[in-house]
Amino acid sequence: MDRRATLAAFIGRSDSKQKRQQRRAAAPINSSLSPYAGPWGWEQAAHLLRRATFGPTKTMIETAVQNGLNGTLTQLFADQPLPAPPVNPNNATDPNVPIGETWINAPYSATVNLVGYRNQSLRGWTMGLMLNEGISIREKMTLFWHNHFAVRQITDPKFLYKYITLLRSSALGNFRQLVKDVTIDPTMLRFLNGNQSTRNAPNENYARELLELFTIGKGPAAGPGDYTNYTETDVEQMARVLTGWRDRGFNTQNPDIAVESFFTLGRHDLGNKQLSHRFDNAVIPNMAENEYAHLVDVIFQKDEVARFICRKLYRWFVYYDIDAATEVNIIEPMAQLLIANNYNIQPAMAALLGSEHFFDILNVGPMIKSPIDFVVGAFRQFSIPFPTQLLRYYNAWFQFFRFSIPMQMEYFNPPDVAGWKAYYQEPGYYRTWINAATLAPRSAFTNQLATTGYVYNTVRYLIDVLTLVDTVSDPFDPVVVIREFSELLYPQPLAQNQLDYLKEVLLPGLPDFEWTIEYNDYKANPDNANLRQAVETKLRNLVRAMLSMPEYYLS
Amino acid sequence: MMKRRHFLKATGTAVAIPILLNGTRLGAMPRSALFNALNDESDRVLVLIQLNGGNDGLNMVLPVDQYDNLANVRSNILIPQDTILPMTGVTGLHPVMTGVKSLYDDARLAVVQSVGYPNQNRSHFRSTDIWTSGSPADEVWNTGWMGRYFDGLYPDYPEGYPNASHPHPFAITMGNLVSETCQGPATNFSLTLENPFTIGQIPSGQGSNAPDNPYGRELEFLRTAIAQSNAYAGAISEVVNAGSSMATYPQGRLAEQLQNVARLISGGLQTKIYVVSLGGFDTHANQAIEGAPTTGEHAELLRNLSDAMTAFQQDLQLLGLDRRVISMTFSEFGRRIRSNASNGTDHGTAAPLLLFGTCVNPQILGDNPEIGPNVSVDEGVPMQHDFRDVYGSILMDWFEVPEADVRAYLYQDFTHLPILTPCETTTSVSGEESLEIAMNVFPNPVSQQATIAFNSAGARARLSIFDAMGNEVQVIFDQRLNAGEHTLTWDASRLPAGIYFCRLLLNGRQQVRRVVKAGR
Repeated sequence: MDRRATLAAFIGRSDSKQKRQQRRAAAPINSSLSPYAGPWGWEQAAHLLRRATFGPTKTMIETAVQNGLNGTLTQLFADQPLPAPPVNPNNATDPNVPIGETWINAPYSATVNLVGYRNQSLRGWTMGLMLNEGISIREKMTLFWHNHFAVRQITDPKFLYKYITLLRSSALGNFRQLVKDVTIDPTMLRFLNGNQSTRNAPNENYARELLELFTIGKGPAAGPGDYTNYTETDVEQMARVLTGWRDRGFNTQNPDIAVESFFTLGRHDLGNKQLSHRFDNAVIPNMAENEYAHLVDVIFQKDEVARFICRKLYRWFVYYDIDAATEVNIIEPMAQLLIANNYNIQPAMAALLGSEHFFDILNVGPMIKSPIDFVVGAFRQFSIPFPTQLLRYYNAWFQFFRFSIPMQMEYFNPPDVAGWKAYYQEPGYYRTWINAATLAPRSAFTNQLATTGYVYNTVRYLIDVLTLVDTVSDPFDPVVVIREFSELLYPQPLAQNQLDYLKEVLLPGLPDFEWTIEYNDYKANPDNANLRQAVETKLRNLVRAMLSMPEYYLS
Repeated sequence: MMKRRHFLKATGTAVAIPILLNGTRLGAMPRSALFNALNDESDRVLVLIQLNGGNDGLNMVLPVDQYDNLANVRSNILIPQDTILPMTGVTGLHPVMTGVKSLYDDARLAVVQSVGYPNQNRSHFRSTDIWTSGSPADEVWNTGWMGRYFDGLYPDYPEGYPNASHPHPFAITMGNLVSETCQGPATNFSLTLENPFTIGQIPSGQGSNAPDNPYGRELEFLRTAIAQSNAYAGAISEVVNAGSSMATYPQGRLAEQLQNVARLISGGLQTKIYVVSLGGFDTHANQAIEGAPTTGEHAELLRNLSDAMTAFQQDLQLLGLDRRVISMTFSEFGRRIRSNASNGTDHGTAAPLLLFGTCVNPQILGDNPEIGPNVSVDEGVPMQHDFRDVYGSILMDWFEVPEADVRAYLYQDFTHLPILTPCETTTSVSGEESLEIAMNVFPNPVSQQATIAFNSAGARARLSIFDAMGNEVQVIFDQRLNAGEHTLTWDASRLPAGIYFCRLLLNGRQQVRRVVKAGR
């Protein structure tokens, strides 16, 4: 039986994209960027935190409910100091970095390979930042920028640390300045060959991506070599602008050489650069090491830059489908807000996440969680504790960092310069995360986290179902337990037959009061292993079943 | 395909000490010699019917010879004596179970009396875990009894499965349950059909209609993707379409599940274990309707069970599959002997278990429970047969597991029970020299010491005392005995006053006597 066909026949819909968009445009009531003024409760707070963080705990949602929408937005966007850098957790062979100290400025060694452990440290540390973040949007924004300014296959963790720290420190800052900084970032110079670009052989790689992927985007083909927003001439000319930059410090064993970029006038093209009519025939004269920044200013004079980045933000935080109405009602006013604020990201982002449109019921739940969201979110939502001892938590963080890899997403390793396909590849978008190869590790992960857990360095990482059920307002009532678990884990309420199904998992063939009796017995004798095990096994079955439901894959 | 025995665990603990009796007993004969006339072992199927909630065995299989004492303590729910369907002179069935009665008359039913385990736990959750894991009551085991069996055969599962030799799931659980029975050390060997991950294969009530909006569309996409990603989905869909069912089934969830099982088997699915279930046996109130005790919730459940069992067996016979399939009911516990004031019964101890199929040894195994004249409030039916002996006998006789492995999977004290028979004949081949154990306990009531007398053919005997709650409180004797009549002294002086059961395990047979300990 094909449920999809049956359903389609039942409601008489065809599946054409055009019709879908028509309906979607017609359906929303609150589709503007105006501030949301509707009810503020668990549903709204949970929706905001699911999108702005890597999965909220019950406590975080309750805090957000209490603080209200504006208070929560303020908290999400609040400035905070950069995290302490990654350290050497356990490598006694590093001659330059004692255990517990950071390696980010320390040279490598001629005798010992230090790249491996430092790369693991960087990745574990990154996982730890996502796992431990409170009510803040910074880590989700950092990953957004990593997807936007994608780099991969950079093997020196000191480079990657510098790059990701740039993104993190500018995560809520000025977009124009960030483009300038990324343009001469040592990692980016290496990744897109900017470091090989000289006046005699300008390399177009970075110039092309700067236009196509990082700032203004490719418009419809308007003629040979003309993409509406820019032309091939602009790519060539901008490549000349960017000549002369190099990086140093890659894999260096010299303690006096830092990871940095530098400008060599002798490699720079000193002539005038003539842009096309798409940039009003602007001429960029020689400005030496300040020239790249001027070029970015010229590009940013085009308002299309604002629309382009707002569409990407929308696809990252709201939904992939941008129809004509969304373009007019959301993208355009958001872009105007960005321009009016001199390309400071925060006001436009706050407007989007505080808008009627964001809280429109149609935008609650249709995002398929990315693998990193899926993995990090599970640990966060269930408040799985980590040990305090350095070696142990770094090691565990690194192990869990790797969980998203078979699900086809790895931090510091997007598939190419365009980032992960889920955020640009039509028509599937988020659906590209889901296939036979990725579903198996997703369900294996949640099954194990719910039942036996993972053991690293003698610590077991496992959902503590007995503590979890204690957070429910009435843990003695199985209906309340399932309802409140559902509210924590799913973006939309379950149907009655699904709630019945879950109760059947918790209480196979039994009336509700038997839960009350068994849970009572356990609470009265919490040290009795038999009573505890009886309740715990049932709860594990329940949580495993809940995490297996497709609803859990949605945010 | 590799032979099963190559996978056998090299366990140092499982030393087989076959209990050789008088040489002719079924239980002592080599399994393979007895059963190799059957189809290849991979063709054999076990269907487990889980009765969730704790079935009141006393109203299902009635000890007619105890009727007067039952009437003293459960008159508000007791089946009127003249409506009981007689099986033997002393045992009968609930009047709605005409189907089960016909299975018995056709020599396709075995009743195993008073199945339980020492130190009964009356928690639904915990006792279900004990029944599905096959653990002792005081140990928590995280694997199921069939899961350990499968793990012995296929230790790499699920890595590399399905494959050409094993294209189908080893076990299938119908409905919503997670089958702990098939939980292995690493993964569950059972595929649950009709859960959120499996849509469109078998009629399913799962999942709401996805709304026609962005959320609903992504949800629908996920459901379809997940269903299609199930490694076994394709094979099962094929088999369901190829399969057939020839009998008329009654309405109801259990019947529907069993009919789907028949379809899957007839379609060629090589699955060995099916778990189906019927819930609602937790009959604390309104088990029977006041004044009409043959009606009510329990009667409806038993009717469902009986009609579904009968239709399933008929279907298997019509499909020519009946020699490949045996089925067994189980429930986490029986209920109290004494009914409560709400026309119901509370959580108890042991209960009878039903096995049916053409290869089942048709009989009533064991004695009727003995109901005393003054039943205490807490008193359940005492255990006569250990449930692990039932499991182990199925593993040995049906799945040809060597006895040493059975002991390793279940417990060292495993005792074989003659519950299966070669299906070449429908007559019982018990071959059992009927030794009259003839246990006698006197005086009864006992105040300080009692004498326990019985006959032995010369084998290991275990004599122990259970309290009314099903706890094994005292082991009097556990060693080899010479043939002949024996008399032992039981010192009951340290036990509080109350109801006790004296259980003798001898020659693979069990006998239970009810004893009252008087106050000092």
